[in-house]
Amino acid sequence: MNSPGVIAITGLSSYLGRSLVQRLLQRSPALRIVGLDQRRPYRLDPLVRFHSVDLTEPTADSRVAEVFAEERVEAVVHTAFRSEPTADLEMDHELETIGSLHVMNACAAAKVKRLVVASSTMLYGAWPDNPNFLTEQHPLRGHPGSHSVSNRIQVESLLANWRARNPDTELTVLRNCWIFGPTYWDHVVRYFSRPFVPKLMGYDPLMQFVHEEDCVYAFETAALRSHPGVFNVVGRGVLPLSTILRIAGKRILAMPPRILYRMTYYPSHGQTGDRPEGFYDYLRYLWVADGQRGWDAFGEPMYTTREAWMSFISTRRMRRYR
Amino acid sequence: MIDEADLESSSDAEMSYELSAELREALDGLRGEISARFPVRERALVEKIDWMSVIQQIQRRVSTLGMSERSGQVDEFGMDEVVLRRARPLLDLLYERYWRIELHGIDWVPDTGPCLFVANRSGFLPYDGLMVSHSIWRMRSNLQPRFMVADWLITLPFVQPYLVRLGGVRACRENAERLIRSGEPVLVFPEGQKGAAKVFRDRYRLKRFGRGGVVRVALETRVPIIPIGIVGPEEAHPILFKWNAPARAVGLPFLPVTPTFPLLGPLGLLPLPTKWVIRIGEPISIDHLAPDAVRDELLISRMNEELRSTIQVLIDTGLSDRGSVWD
Repeated sequence: MNSPGVIAITGLSSYLGRSLVQRLLQRSPALRIVGLDQRRPYRLDPLVRFHSVDLTEPTADSRVAEVFAEERVEAVVHTAFRSEPTADLEMDHELETIGSLHVMNACAAAKVKRLVVASSTMLYGAWPDNPNFLTEQHPLRGHPGSHSVSNRIQVESLLANWRARNPDTELTVLRNCWIFGPTYWDHVVRYFSRPFVPKLMGYDPLMQFVHEEDCVYAFETAALRSHPGVFNVVGRGVLPLSTILRIAGKRILAMPPRILYRMTYYPSHGQTGDRPEGFYDYLRYLWVADGQRGWDAFGEPMYTTREAWMSFISTRRMRRYR
Repeated sequence: MIDEADLESSSDAEMSYELSAELREALDGLRGEISARFPVRERALVEKIDWMSVIQQIQRRVSTLGMSERSGQVDEFGMDEVVLRRARPLLDLLYERYWRIELHGIDWVPDTGPCLFVANRSGFLPYDGLMVSHSIWRMRSNLQPRFMVADWLITLPFVQPYLVRLGGVRACRENAERLIRSGEPVLVFPEGQKGAAKVFRDRYRLKRFGRGGVVRVALETRVPIIPIGIVGPEEAHPILFKWNAPARAVGLPFLPVTPTFPLLGPLGLLPLPTKWVIRIGEPISIDHLAPDAVRDELLISRMNEELRSTIQVLIDTGLSDRGSVWD
């Protein structure tokens, strides 16, 4: 199968789902799009056939399978993941891990020919013994302090099992790094949008970003063409964290790790349910991914890391240095 | 704008001034007294300064200050050309005046292209990697070997940002192979932490060369191995003994006790001005080996041992060349 006639997108309200719908409507008018989410998104295009499904329900798998069979769905893009971590750990697990399992089982039952799943390069984990460039074969070590990363790792291991049991379905896993751009917003962007940015004293890791358009383009290509396998979706080039912050004219609050972790312990628990290490270790050690496989498959990205960052800070009028 | 009428009147004025020189003197004195008593002019000057623009200017300076010593772009392993260019005079000073480095056998180094430099590691901080890399760059300006640094040092707070900007890379096979494949020369220290933690009485006695990772990288990427023997940095940081109990508390693998280090505080970390000799040996070619030699473990360990003895010979020659530690 090369180009599917009907595509289902789970998690319509997520950034990826929303912008993928817009993009597919513009560029592939012949395509029929089926959208699944808990609630109908605000201002949904009438051409999208919407089905309200709660993935956390115990019978969600048969409900999703019904929808897929009824609409004769050929390809599924699974983007029903949180962009903001939540302190409700149980709910998070139900939605991300069990919800993904429901979607996988429904795909198997409805004999869907292609499944594209959103993942993240954060799953490799930020560790002092990482090589400078992590390839797709690198083990997913994650971070013990971040429950959303642990959930996503469970999803990936479930996917590996699922792929062994369903060899007829093309499975594409796209691991994107931190997304930046004019409209993208999540907890990482919120951290970088503050005027005063806390940073770990003495550490200055290399960071890597991908522009939102390149990321959505990779998802679009993966949905429309056959690219089975795992791909890192990242921009070219790296920049040290301090350079990134200085380009944006941020006031850097460099703090010793222990003091920063102690200070942010309760706020972090309240907001994300995690220890602060779960986020700040990603600003401490290296976790840059090797995007060559993704660039070969989906083409050269339009924006480098620096350009993605520039596009973000220019839109927010944070640019201080050229 | 001065027109003729003005000129005429000014010449008239001069005439009248000459006539009343005394009066002028008196007036001048009076004026001086007035300005001394009521410093009106200064107060006006202070009021005239546009504080907003001054603040804006200072803000602009401060916000770009952090960027002035670095470029906005680094290469994919984090080396910053601007930082390196700014560090060159200091490195030259260290090379010529401080350690008075003697470099032998530069003819063995190719003009361009990837190659694998292998050297002995000594001293606590990676001055040896920095200096070997710099001395090769001095002679071959299009070769800037990236020196590999052990894990604990490349993630050491405050040291890590500078090491990375000056061209240090975490020592692991993936990084070495990637650098060589992208055409960069690489400088590795196969002794690793064992070399850095060598105590003074074991100086210039090479430790085990890992598990043959260097030879494996060379066989995978088909580049020649160039052995280098460095004499001198062992005495720059003479480690008397290792003190492990406080080291574990701060997350270091060991705490070196040198004649100066914990005694003089951070000042004790300065290396001593010993005499250095860097001796580059004949490249070990691997062209005659078959591509599947990577799987021959016995061959790899034999080549590894040969490499070790080659470097040991280079060190011994360097030691006999050098008169004393200081000269």
